[in-house]
Amino acid sequence: MLHQYFSFIFLCLFLTYSCNQNPSNKDSKIETEQELIERALKIHKNVLTLDTHADTPLRMIEPGFDMSERHDPNETGSKVDYPRMKEGDLDAIFFAAFVAQDIRNDKGNSRAKALCIQMIDSILVSIERNSEIVGLAVNPEDAYSLEKNGKRAIYIGIENGYPIGDDLSNIKIYFDKGVRYITLVHSSNNDLADSATDPYGFEHNGISEFGSKVVSEMNRLGIMVDVSHGSDSLFYDVINLTKAPIIATHSNARVVTNHKRNMTDDMLRAMAKNGGVVQLTMLADYLREATPNIKRDSAIAVLRSNIKPIDKMTDREKVSLRKRYQEIEVKYPNSPATVKNVVDHIDHIIKVAGIDHVGIGCDFDGGGGIQGVFDASEVMNITIELVKRGYNEQQIGKIWGGNLIRVFKEVQKISEQLKTDTSV
Amino acid sequence: MILRWLLIPIASLFFESLYAHPLRLSLCEIEYRSSTKLISINLKLFLTDVNEALVFDPNSKKLAFCQPNESEIADQMLLDYVNKFFYVKANGITIPLKIKQKRLSGDGQNTALWIYFEFSQPLKLELLEVKNAVFSDIFFDQNNIVYIHVNDESRSIMLNKKTSIHHLEF
Repeated sequence: MLHQYFSFIFLCLFLTYSCNQNPSNKDSKIETEQELIERALKIHKNVLTLDTHADTPLRMIEPGFDMSERHDPNETGSKVDYPRMKEGDLDAIFFAAFVAQDIRNDKGNSRAKALCIQMIDSILVSIERNSEIVGLAVNPEDAYSLEKNGKRAIYIGIENGYPIGDDLSNIKIYFDKGVRYITLVHSSNNDLADSATDPYGFEHNGISEFGSKVVSEMNRLGIMVDVSHGSDSLFYDVINLTKAPIIATHSNARVVTNHKRNMTDDMLRAMAKNGGVVQLTMLADYLREATPNIKRDSAIAVLRSNIKPIDKMTDREKVSLRKRYQEIEVKYPNSPATVKNVVDHIDHIIKVAGIDHVGIGCDFDGGGGIQGVFDASEVMNITIELVKRGYNEQQIGKIWGGNLIRVFKEVQKISEQLKTDTSV
Repeated sequence: MILRWLLIPIASLFFESLYAHPLRLSLCEIEYRSSTKLISINLKLFLTDVNEALVFDPNSKKLAFCQPNESEIADQMLLDYVNKFFYVKANGITIPLKIKQKRLSGDGQNTALWIYFEFSQPLKLELLEVKNAVFSDIFFDQNNIVYIHVNDESRSIMLNKKTSIHHLEF
């Protein structure tokens, strides 16, 4: 009897405990989707949000383009302007001055320098014209002080070392204009280094002798070395050469998406060891393998089989045909890359390299922009997805800017040491 | 000038993901030197975009640009298209576009078609007007970078559907 009594008491206690653990219990607080989003947005507002790569200066050389106006990305393709940075609560951004690789001689180099300076000046003019809402940032802490004053921080980078030419003194010129990172190489090899994507293969097997001097000078001046776009050999050469942590301003994880521009796990581990940071980018092809669009291809095949030769068509017929093609594209769009793909890469990099070595560099206006993070006004969706996956405010703070700022500070600290102590 | 054209190293012009080139971009270089009295124009276009614009098929082999079996109508179709969306006026006079040379660079989806034009400009160049709206009829977000080198002065502008024309004075 006593045994039955204790069994009953035990059962009651067990049921009471079980009910308290049940997620459906009305007394326990279950976060709704809306509440989660509100929490995420609060985190997004609290942390420093810094995007390390935007090719927006190309827009700034578009006659009449005004950064203070809001542009419709679906009409113009533009992904960043100051109103949309505010909408997306993007606190800081690196605008990259880009010069396309061209002829590698004195004439080409001097032209590249002129074009690069023009592009940097266009950034400076834009900042000056909009000084009530943005400010030039040249030091890590500037992002925080500008944010405190209600302004967006504009940092400057250079994408492609081509405008350095063969003259190391140019690096100081760019530094003095506010440049705080330089991407050593772009889509084809230059005098500094090998690109990951040069169709004619490698030329220096990594970094050139001159490129090594460039890295040393960047270390000395306190300019972050950006290895995005570089070949794998270049990455390892730079890791071995540099005295300061390095960055990849817009690169993803190759294990998640097999692309030459993405980084292998070994590279991610080396980046962690170096103390650097890999900034995730929003380029669809770097984020996921595209799936074949069979329905669209079939519809186009049917259309093609029923048209007369193009060269026999009148202009009017061509316009009509173009419209039919476009209707098919709209009806059967390609499967998009999404913010889930972005956070898949973040998850992987954290797994391999740790939470201290990942950040975000959207590459807006340079090809970046996916479903859910199509332009600067939508970057908070990354934070929402991070919160959904269980990341807390401290971790999100590191991802969104803390890590990059840490590296930036370290680069400046080592620069000071190098300037004062030649044995470093 | 031709020598320069031939010696120019591969300039994979563009931005990200040359594999699938999601960014709609072209590059144009316009050069004038008073010593040579020549205006040269280099248009560098993704071949897939050219095929899409001309024959509605990005991967078409019909026109076979720069191949031994290049179609007899390839140049004419190309010029008909380019003339609709691109021009350069020197001192107010439209430069007649006659292809002096063209070539391919890169591979796969990254293949670029380079089209080279040359024009005699005996008078001092004082005013340049450039229109570049190539592919804006097929891609809403097409952007066309134009580098302008006049003697020792270099400038860059971005033209697109919304802003397709720009004037420069020298």
